[in-house]
Amino acid sequence: MDTTLSEEEVMVRETARKFLEARCPTKLVRAMEKDEKGYPPDLWREAAELGWQGLALPEQYGGSGLPMTYLGLVMHEVGRALTPLPMLSTVTAALTIAAHGDTALCQEVLPKVVSGETILTWAFTEQDPRFLPETVRMRAVADGDHFVLTGTKLFVENFVAADQCLVVCRTSDTGLSVFLVDCRSAGISHRDLVTLAKDRQSEVTFNAVRVPRGRLVGGLNEGAAIAEGLIDRATVLLCAQMLGATRKDMEMAVEWSKFRKAFGQPIGAFQSLQHMCADMLMWVDGGDLLTYEALWKMDQGLPASVEVSQAKAFCNEKCQAVVRGCQVIHGGIGFIMEFDLQLWYRRVCAWTTRFGTAYEHRARIARALLDHPGTVILGQPVPVVAEA
Amino acid sequence: MDFGYTPEQQALRREVRAFIAEHVTEDVLAERGSSESNTGRGEGGAMKRLYEKVYERGWLGITYPKEYGGQGGDRMTQYIVEEEFTRVDIPVGMGGSGAPAIMAAGTEEQKQYYIPGLIKREISFALGFTEPHAGADLASLQCRAVRDGDEYVINGQKMYTSSAHMATHIYLMARTNPNLPKHRGISIFLFPMDTPGITVRPLWTMQNDPTAPIGTTYGHQRTNETFFEDVRIPAASLLGKENGGWRVGAMGLNLDRVGASRYLISVRRDEDIVNFVKLNSFDGYAPAKDPAIRDKIAELWIEAQVCRLMTMRSMSIVEHGGNFTYEGSAEKTWAPEHGVRTTEAIAQMLGPYGQLLNGSPHAVESGIFAHNLQGAFQSGINHGSTQVMRDQICRRGLDMPRK
Repeated sequence: MDTTLSEEEVMVRETARKFLEARCPTKLVRAMEKDEKGYPPDLWREAAELGWQGLALPEQYGGSGLPMTYLGLVMHEVGRALTPLPMLSTVTAALTIAAHGDTALCQEVLPKVVSGETILTWAFTEQDPRFLPETVRMRAVADGDHFVLTGTKLFVENFVAADQCLVVCRTSDTGLSVFLVDCRSAGISHRDLVTLAKDRQSEVTFNAVRVPRGRLVGGLNEGAAIAEGLIDRATVLLCAQMLGATRKDMEMAVEWSKFRKAFGQPIGAFQSLQHMCADMLMWVDGGDLLTYEALWKMDQGLPASVEVSQAKAFCNEKCQAVVRGCQVIHGGIGFIMEFDLQLWYRRVCAWTTRFGTAYEHRARIARALLDHPGTVILGQPVPVVAEA
Repeated sequence: MDFGYTPEQQALRREVRAFIAEHVTEDVLAERGSSESNTGRGEGGAMKRLYEKVYERGWLGITYPKEYGGQGGDRMTQYIVEEEFTRVDIPVGMGGSGAPAIMAAGTEEQKQYYIPGLIKREISFALGFTEPHAGADLASLQCRAVRDGDEYVINGQKMYTSSAHMATHIYLMARTNPNLPKHRGISIFLFPMDTPGITVRPLWTMQNDPTAPIGTTYGHQRTNETFFEDVRIPAASLLGKENGGWRVGAMGLNLDRVGASRYLISVRRDEDIVNFVKLNSFDGYAPAKDPAIRDKIAELWIEAQVCRLMTMRSMSIVEHGGNFTYEGSAEKTWAPEHGVRTTEAIAQMLGPYGQLLNGSPHAVESGIFAHNLQGAFQSGINHGSTQVMRDQICRRGLDMPRK
């Protein structure tokens, strides 16, 4: 048991931080809010040169085979700088392909992800926003050596930038399957959503889109478990990203409080404000601890769903409270568009709504705690029950 | 980062559990009820015999050097042993800030005398810090120690000296120089409670009527006020340097704020309520099926994990040879406040059953949840209030200004 960072982990974090401080100023963040694709291709290539896209992918496909905790450290820095790159959707989809795709598919797709040539995304949610298998209505029907996909997906991140998309479809009354679909396939149309984060999310409609059988990721009708793993990875990495952004926001607010004077002293000397900041520090620290424990469990091959839900439910509410506090500390200047603070506030708010609400994640924890026989002991695993 | 236990640590935990299953017998459990037994001097002798066996296993004083009767072990070993014993309400920690302070500031003679005795639970300290007019602002204390030849003469009053009626010694903070700035005129003394001139008067708590069940957070029935009237002690009773007591005392307090027992007093009701609602219903109403209760229980469970992880963080820092700055204060804020949130939420889950005390008809789990309402908040007051802790978090963790 050791919650401190090793030398190598510190190096991963510091390298990422220095790179993004130099290459991702808020000017770029602002510019990308208005960019059609939402990301700068040269920065994406540089990230690939640093090995980020392939950080946790297997070495046989050109990746570095490093643990998820390392990827978490990088995503923390990606969030800190509000980096406008399709990193989260790409690495999450790529890890899913690496875990469940056959060798041919992995060999075709993953080296190009590692090199930065391919951008990936994934699509699960439809109209019902909950992350439950029964919310998936989009059908994939077998037709010779193809499947025909029909339906509409919502909140698909970076679809406008992505080359390929993992799509979770219903292939039987009780079974889901996952397909890797070329984003420019005939029959696909999309509408862009306007989000708090000013990121790129789309409603994507599949109208009898033909997908070759070889694009099935994992077994037919085995998609529910694959999707759960995908969503868990996306969720925990989003926590890391959110915490990176939230901690930076807190640091800016604390610095502001030392500089800004009122009633003859820095506002940071007022105890009412100090105690707010003490809470903020405890919350981001708590979020970090929960998040890295979940990532560590994934690295050990241990069940981590409860830990992921712990992290996300906590981060949704606490990160929101921290960034709100940072706005309060800044006063009026905090919501002026020219001032950078709002960039962090809007993104963290948006991210708290993604990949499971606090209620959903707590419901999942409650199932693990309450719907099984036996005595629970803190610090020891509790089982998880899939929703019936 | 490594969030797991080594195979050796897992084996140790199994070994401790097996030991507890074998040796924490009915007679031990019966004696456990009186807090006096917890000092190892229980009247029936069962607790004393148990502690002898625990000592033989090398599970007392684990982190203390071998030359002082300890095991020279690490903090995770101590944590694992302490966690398991705390779950059966048998304290095996060093019980307070005295021992770490002696290790840091004591003379060789003091270490040789006190540390082995504390480890074997033959010596125990009452903590003589707080006074009627010095609580959170401890440095304003007025209890006086005046040098007179080879002796000091103590005069004053201490409050909330919780174990003064059964402790063998007192760990006392007194003013040795009233002319220096308040933090710099303070010294620490160690001396026997049977020294002439000491009077201990009980202050009975809310937990006394009826008696709180075992395991209640701050279920102590009694604390004390202690009076010192011309108490003459040898000059060698001084711990550390004269007028240098503030730093020694603060350091010991800081170490006492982290660890297994501090963590567990704040989270045990989380386990209890989960395990209770899983098995119980009221004429067909099952709280475990109630969506509002399920959501609240999960929320509290997450907070409890943060308590655990903050404890692990403090210990990791110390294991690396570092000193935590704000992290111990964060743990000492988050955990007690979480314990209070859990306790108060449980009252709302149980409704009118949540008010029933130990011995009442229909009392739930011997009334522990109701008694906890009388005790949980105390953990946010004792040993540095959560308000004082927050001051430390923003000074040490965020470098925020005083003015």
